[in-house]
Amino acid sequence: MNERIEALKSFIWNRKHHAFRTTPEQLGLDKLCETFQARGIAPQERSARMLQALLEAEKPVILEGETIVATRTITRIPSIFTEQEWADIRAHHTLHERGTVSNISADYEGILRDGLGLRKQQVEERARDKGLTAGQQAFLASARESIEAVQAFILKYRDCAESAGLVQVAHNLTQIHSGAPQTFHQALQLLRIVHFALWESDCYHNTLGRFDQYMYPFYLADKAAGRLTDDEAFDLIEEFFLACNKDSDLYIGMQQGDNGQSIVLGGRNPQGEYLFNALSEMCLRASYELNLIDPKINLRCDAQTPLEVFKLGAQLTKRGLGFPQYDNDDVVIPGLLKLGYSPEDAYNYVVAACWEFIVPKNGMEIVNIDALSFAGVVSDALEHLGEYPSYEAFYAYVDSLIKAECERITKAHDKLYIVPAPWMSMLMGGTIERAQDISLGGNSNNYGVHGTGLSTAADSLAVIKKYYYEEKSLSLEELMDAVHHNFKGHEALQEKLRNEAPKMGLDQEEPDAIGGALLASFAQGLQGKRNERGGIWRAGTGTAMYYIFHAKDLPATPDGRFAGEVIPANFTPSMFLRQQGPVSVMRSFSKQHLEDTINGGPLTIELDETIFRNEESLEKLAMLIRNYMRLGGHQLQLNTLNRDTLLDAKKHPERHRDLIVRVWGWSGYFVELDECYQDHIIERIKYKI
Amino acid sequence: MLSGIVFSIEEFAINDGPGIRTTVFLKGCPLRCAWCHNPEGWSPEPQWLTKKGRKERCGYAIGADELAAKLLRDKDLYRDSGGGVTFTGGEPLMQAPFLCDVMCRLPGIHKAVETSGYGSAQAFGSVLERADLLLFDVKLADPALHRRYTGVDNGQILANLERLKASGKPFVARIPLIPGVNDTLQNMEATARLLEGAAGLERAELLRYHQTAGAKYPMVGLPYNPPFDENQAPEIHDCFTERGIKLMIL
Repeated sequence: MNERIEALKSFIWNRKHHAFRTTPEQLGLDKLCETFQARGIAPQERSARMLQALLEAEKPVILEGETIVATRTITRIPSIFTEQEWADIRAHHTLHERGTVSNISADYEGILRDGLGLRKQQVEERARDKGLTAGQQAFLASARESIEAVQAFILKYRDCAESAGLVQVAHNLTQIHSGAPQTFHQALQLLRIVHFALWESDCYHNTLGRFDQYMYPFYLADKAAGRLTDDEAFDLIEEFFLACNKDSDLYIGMQQGDNGQSIVLGGRNPQGEYLFNALSEMCLRASYELNLIDPKINLRCDAQTPLEVFKLGAQLTKRGLGFPQYDNDDVVIPGLLKLGYSPEDAYNYVVAACWEFIVPKNGMEIVNIDALSFAGVVSDALEHLGEYPSYEAFYAYVDSLIKAECERITKAHDKLYIVPAPWMSMLMGGTIERAQDISLGGNSNNYGVHGTGLSTAADSLAVIKKYYYEEKSLSLEELMDAVHHNFKGHEALQEKLRNEAPKMGLDQEEPDAIGGALLASFAQGLQGKRNERGGIWRAGTGTAMYYIFHAKDLPATPDGRFAGEVIPANFTPSMFLRQQGPVSVMRSFSKQHLEDTINGGPLTIELDETIFRNEESLEKLAMLIRNYMRLGGHQLQLNTLNRDTLLDAKKHPERHRDLIVRVWGWSGYFVELDECYQDHIIERIKYKI
Repeated sequence: MLSGIVFSIEEFAINDGPGIRTTVFLKGCPLRCAWCHNPEGWSPEPQWLTKKGRKERCGYAIGADELAAKLLRDKDLYRDSGGGVTFTGGEPLMQAPFLCDVMCRLPGIHKAVETSGYGSAQAFGSVLERADLLLFDVKLADPALHRRYTGVDNGQILANLERLKASGKPFVARIPLIPGVNDTLQNMEATARLLEGAAGLERAELLRYHQTAGAKYPMVGLPYNPPFDENQAPEIHDCFTERGIKLMIL
């Protein structure tokens, strides 16, 4: 890190730029929705006008030493609707989370290639089509307004840079106001502003996609022209990454840090080339140096990825940021093809906010629309255990419940309403041709469903199969009494179930196969179903925050888990597994047909900081990561933790402001998390290696 | 086919030899080192541990074929990483026939054995023959001190060490660093002299004492009263490099 970046980081880390912030109340923008309502302005136009008003109200702020500018000064993005209007929308529609466009991946490649001027021209040309409906015309008008609002914002910053004597910054802004970026630096500046404006337009979980790929042509051109050295490129990447952390406390998610600013590096193309390039490596190194939560890095890899790449990843894993997350092209791409994605989209996949595999540029997927509780289903089925004479018959019942739950889920999200997003629409393919807002759909409109408590469910079924049906050493009465009374009076049984019973994670045939069967039931339950937008339903192995929600009301389970006791996050062994180690865990969690549950959700393994004391361990860890890819795992998340530090951070948060942890699919500052998430992490590390 | 008693199998053991390894802990040890951190490895029989008021089984019988099959599952990973399997304990020589049986069933896999060297010449010889690498503990050179701190004489250990040296088999000498017990210049000099000139010696490792060593004693219902000051920093004397022995301090 050079002095300039160091100083900039320190300024931002100490939150000195917060001094420039104002609230929408202070600006009078919180009442804008009331004006919209009074004047009967349509939602489409409201979105554009709100963005325009906000960008106009932003004070240009250029921090000392900054060369990639745009700093958020407005603390909150007001809604375009009044409370009363929201109530009305809720009465007639379902909403996904906050109701605005989220968790998709914009076509940064396209906007960096075209520039804003050409995009505006395309919109204007399209609007000349006399055959368009009034709604289509309204969309195009709001789209043009959005572009103009962003352009005006650029000019404001340009003037500010000029008066501050920042010649280069001003020059870059002049170029990107209308033209396509001509240099690596200009491309980063335009990227910063279009991404900034996405947040400003109330879209959220704004991912950054294949940064190393779409930035690479600019890097190559600059290098060829002798305009850019690798050191300069590296500094600019660091500055851009730093900018991603500047306003992220204002970005809303389930928890602070859950902001979806993911980037994806590497990956194989259909010709079989591995696309890890000089920028990919710089990104890993920059993230290592900066030691900040954003952007969250995904590394696309496969069984043939060079060990050196895994070593670079392992180096960052050692840092304890909880990323990179490793995504296996060998499984993900065939999985996406099976779901019906085109080869172009499948090979170009990126990762959404956490781990969901999505297609950039044109996909309007909602990858976390709901979650199936495997453990809940098994718990419900258990009440009827006595009615089934064999395990096969009992599992058929479980299977029917999973499918009924899939049926319910696929019916529960009709009449979806999403707030129009004209600015996001300008960064998505197909919207101008359709003359339709992206909120109404893209090329693919698939919905993803998480699956929680898989290992709890599989382990419970393995207990039932082995002790109740096969060995007959556990009677129906004893099992039911134990789970109904939270194992009170059944302590010895519980001990046996927790510590001796078969479990996923030990590379045992039975529980791993049951896990596979549960996933297959889930995938089958969603297969062939269509959502109201014409998209399909995708099953996944992630949990999002549902691992906390679903555990709370879950009664005691046959695997020996107490009522209310935590369940693991994502695709992970039981919290009380007595591990043999990560190799067995990797085997257990790669035997299933993971390409059929490819919504995403990683195997998560906690590493103790001390393993990195041995200098050879980086290479060994790299080999271990590669091993999971070779076994056919789909996604891997590794967290490096130190229990004592976490416990101390709970007691003395003020001493650990910079302590970063991975929560479910994103990294955040430990001290900013709600206690239930902090405790889950502390609990998890008992099972570290 | 023989069966033996194992009390733990740990994967991704990164400090027990080259590459990615699986470490198998064989139960039973005739030594009682004052700094031992694995007291559950002493008894050769399966036993109960008490963890937070709950009982947990420690140790189980397993057939040589079953154990070998389990270890063979990861042969690709061992091969790709230049790793293999490490047997430790307890003291593996206590189950030498079983250990040899298992090792014979792991052809082509790199096999390391960590041992105190305390065992009959016959037992040691049979293991030596089948292993690819020995991690050989050299705790104390002086026989009287050895008896005092480990409960056994080191005559047999030193004889086995000589045999190891003569065999030319690759080995790593492991020396625990116990403050005030064996970290003296005198002992390190003596240890280095013992190792000097061994063709197969890859390096000597000084292993720092961990204050968590006593953690498992309550589980086996025993007190932990180390006859040395746990908090004292150990002296570190490099008597090895000058004798051409590579030294690693862990």
